[in-house]
Amino acid sequence: MLLELQNVCLELKRNHKYVKILDEVSFQVNQGETVGIVGESGCGKSMTALSIMRLLPEKAKLKGTIKLEDEDVTKFSKKALEKVRGNKLSMIFQDPLTSLNPLHTVGKQIEETLMLHTDLTKSQRKQRVVELLREVGLPRAEELVHEYPHQLSGGMRQRIMIAIAMACNPSLLICDEPTTALDVTVQAQILELMNSLKKMNEMGIIMITHDLGVVAEVCDRVIVMYAGKVVEQAGVKELFQNPKHPYTKGLIESIPKLGERKQILGSIPGTVPAPDKLPSGCKFADRCSYAMDTCRRKMPPMVHITNEHSASCWLLEEEEGEQFVTSGSKRIETTLHH
Amino acid sequence: MDALRYIIKRILLMIPILFGISVLTFFISNTIPGDPARLAAGPHADAKIIEELQEKMGLNDPLYVQYGRYMKNLVQGDLGTSNYSHQPVMEDIKQYFPATLELTLFSMFITILIGIPLGVISASKKDKLADQFARVMALIGVAMPAFWLGIIFLLFFYLQLGILPGSGRLDTGLAPPESITGMYTIDALLTGNWAVFNSAIIHLILPGITQAAVTIGMITRMTRSSMLEVLNSDYIRTAFAKGGSQNRVLYGHALRNGMMPILTLLGMTFGHSLGGSVLVESVFSWPGLGRYAVNAITYLDFPAVMAVTILIAVLFITVNLLIDILYQVVDPRLNYD
Amino acid sequence: MSLLEVKELKQHFTIKKGFLGEKKIVKAVDGVSFKIEQGETLGIVGESGCGKSSLGRTILQLIKPTSGVIHFQGRDITHLSRKEMKDVRKEMQIVFQDPYASLNPRSTVRTILEDPLIIHGIKSRHKRMDIIEGIIDKIGIRKDQLDRYPHEFSGGQRQRIGIARALTLSPKLIIADEPVSALDVSVQSQVLNLMDALQKELNLSYIFISHDLSVVQHISDRVAVMYLGKIVEIADVDELYQNPLHPYTKALLSAVPLPDPAQMKERIILQGDLPSPVNPPSGCPFHTRCPQATPECKAEIPELREKSMDHWAACIHVQPGQKQSIRTSIS
Repeated sequence: MLLELQNVCLELKRNHKYVKILDEVSFQVNQGETVGIVGESGCGKSMTALSIMRLLPEKAKLKGTIKLEDEDVTKFSKKALEKVRGNKLSMIFQDPLTSLNPLHTVGKQIEETLMLHTDLTKSQRKQRVVELLREVGLPRAEELVHEYPHQLSGGMRQRIMIAIAMACNPSLLICDEPTTALDVTVQAQILELMNSLKKMNEMGIIMITHDLGVVAEVCDRVIVMYAGKVVEQAGVKELFQNPKHPYTKGLIESIPKLGERKQILGSIPGTVPAPDKLPSGCKFADRCSYAMDTCRRKMPPMVHITNEHSASCWLLEEEEGEQFVTSGSKRIETTLHH
Repeated sequence: MDALRYIIKRILLMIPILFGISVLTFFISNTIPGDPARLAAGPHADAKIIEELQEKMGLNDPLYVQYGRYMKNLVQGDLGTSNYSHQPVMEDIKQYFPATLELTLFSMFITILIGIPLGVISASKKDKLADQFARVMALIGVAMPAFWLGIIFLLFFYLQLGILPGSGRLDTGLAPPESITGMYTIDALLTGNWAVFNSAIIHLILPGITQAAVTIGMITRMTRSSMLEVLNSDYIRTAFAKGGSQNRVLYGHALRNGMMPILTLLGMTFGHSLGGSVLVESVFSWPGLGRYAVNAITYLDFPAVMAVTILIAVLFITVNLLIDILYQVVDPRLNYD
Repeated sequence: MSLLEVKELKQHFTIKKGFLGEKKIVKAVDGVSFKIEQGETLGIVGESGCGKSSLGRTILQLIKPTSGVIHFQGRDITHLSRKEMKDVRKEMQIVFQDPYASLNPRSTVRTILEDPLIIHGIKSRHKRMDIIEGIIDKIGIRKDQLDRYPHEFSGGQRQRIGIARALTLSPKLIIADEPVSALDVSVQSQVLNLMDALQKELNLSYIFISHDLSVVQHISDRVAVMYLGKIVEIADVDELYQNPLHPYTKALLSAVPLPDPAQMKERIILQGDLPSPVNPPSGCPFHTRCPQATPECKAEIPELREKSMDHWAACIHVQPGQKQSIRTSIS
């Protein structure tokens, strides 16, 4: 086991009071595996990543355990965190332009990671930087070292971010919407690069995205989050073919699919509730067309459908799933109002 | 070469600005009531002498002729003769300006040494004790009038404790060092005269701190707000994600990014202080440009007023140019176009 | 007669770098021609910097075109006076990407919706309220929400308000510039469905500008693909998506990740990024990234030609009548 989150809860201070951002989040990532975390804005997917990195705001309250190779990251001292970040555990972010320091050269930014975590001499580091630039598919690496982020294109910048993250051969790479700010043709380049790096390095990857297309493309397993909770997790094929949670189904029905024309798209009525205005029972109940009384009263437990597939919904608990699954997809409401 | 072209372009741009300033000052100072000839001749001089003086000083010529004459001399390095000190104004400036420059450099040095780190600490410990402390100190520094702070310093360190001198640039009895830059500390260093160097430094302390008090306050606050903005950036998060320590991120990544507004403010205060701080110079009897300027105005010493105004304008523009060049050293995104 | 016909439209911006700097010309829109019929949706897709947003704004004359002609309902609107243009604008409205930035935060929804009516001279308050209530009913905002401010609504609701504002003057044509790009998927589909329904009910025409190929496919009848200020391909939606002719369109389509792990497809990975529109490549603007480029492509600018029935492409390597199919994987 590379990474294991158990009952991770996170509270952040918003407008002078603490608000629950993550609620009992548990999942695992194995070596060499790519796990996708999907959900809409505000579902807590980015905060999950920042919790693993321990890059949270100062007054954050983090509970539960986050085990990275059997060490609990939540108990790490500042020093221990500095040692693991950028080394065993690295992360790339959504917007490569703002995520790179505008005043440092590309070479300096990659070299910094090597300087912090390896014993390489200055000339060895310089050499390694050039190698890394080549590994992420950048041309004219020797010159690029002396250039600044603003001189590069969006795709090149994201490759630089990947080079920084890969510098110390991490065991776990967290990618937070790595292609969202990029054009489709460039996104395709970056996804291809990530797939090839994964094959080479045997690392675990957490891929955070709102784009189900990206998930289908690169992930082995998927975690669906809604309002700070994990609502479903399954292998990628299973999830797309046999989604169990009404939210997952709604999400899949909502996206227009290339090569497929429908008159009306499926949609989920309403919007994601604000974290300080969450309903008491199932967080999705207000938008769910199957919601029952129980849903509004009590939080549904995580039901294991198979070894690999689990979802948190009362329907699965009470009806053993079967009936719901067969009739489910047809009943997704296509609403214009609300 | 881009850099050189840029600098030359900027220097050429200075010419119209200076022309404008010289015209304005010249005509304004010549239309204020008051007769320099009468002032120069003294209160008891009779009308004939005054008339002769007016003729001699060229005051009867049309203004534009006077201006033309002045500019012609100026280009040749002749700023005219002071009506008050009866010395060439150039000599006066050579005497007073280095004193002001020395004091300004010293107080800027203190400002940078204290103000910037205090601002960085303030930002990184936002709303904590250190930040509150820095906030109060900055507020006191900005709010306290310089002359009052100067007098308090004098009373305490000079009269009460007697550990620091209270006036002038050197101990009485010490001869100034051979004039190279005109700044005593630097000239003393260059000539290896340690006794003079020590004395000059000690004399700088009280006026320097008095003058720095305000700027430290401003720089601290500016650094804090600029840093707070920068600390929210994505690349700061990246720097932490790489495993950088707090100090490394603060001073290695954030400070340089937050430097722009700090540089701007430093440039403005620097330019401003170079004109001489009248209050500080008066309290500590510092023979600087500020006091010279006040005297010149009081005695309607037009050549001196003109010279000081033009000098300050040149200094301001030069400092601004330096700051603009520094911007581009700090931020590679700004190119010389 | 087409509702809108655009001929050889050009929008060139001059940028001057710094004081005394040299002038450079950005050809944001460079010779675009197309037609739209009443009730039709034309999708315009392309990557950032391809000029699709400038095109929308130029058609609305928010920026005057450098050259070219825009016929709206048979009338040349490129040389109209301000006052005459005001009347045309009633029929032609725009919906922006960021619903929050495009709604005045200090106005209530009622004021936001009422303003265009006042500007266009509907004096009776009673009549204005009738119109507004009729529209909000269609877009799913309740009457009691009219006196709220934009920040009190969610992103999806704000975009509905943006659409409602565009509808108040009963336009014939709506130019929607990335209208759903800032929205979450579940909300995006709500807005797309709404736009669909409104089109049917009011017989609207849309110019739907987006970078998202799947969304454009869903909503459009015809689709134009833009690259560096030029339309490189235009055809009916099904024809374009199933039988793309231009190498850029093919690459673009193949680059979209499909939300279905069971489907694997052949991918054309383009090298590099979009060149800068300040210094576009000579000849075919796409030749620097085109897998099929030959020396001829560098030399001549390919014209947009009809390669098969109603299917136009600007590529010298596509022969008329040629059927090409690369996307075997898509049903």
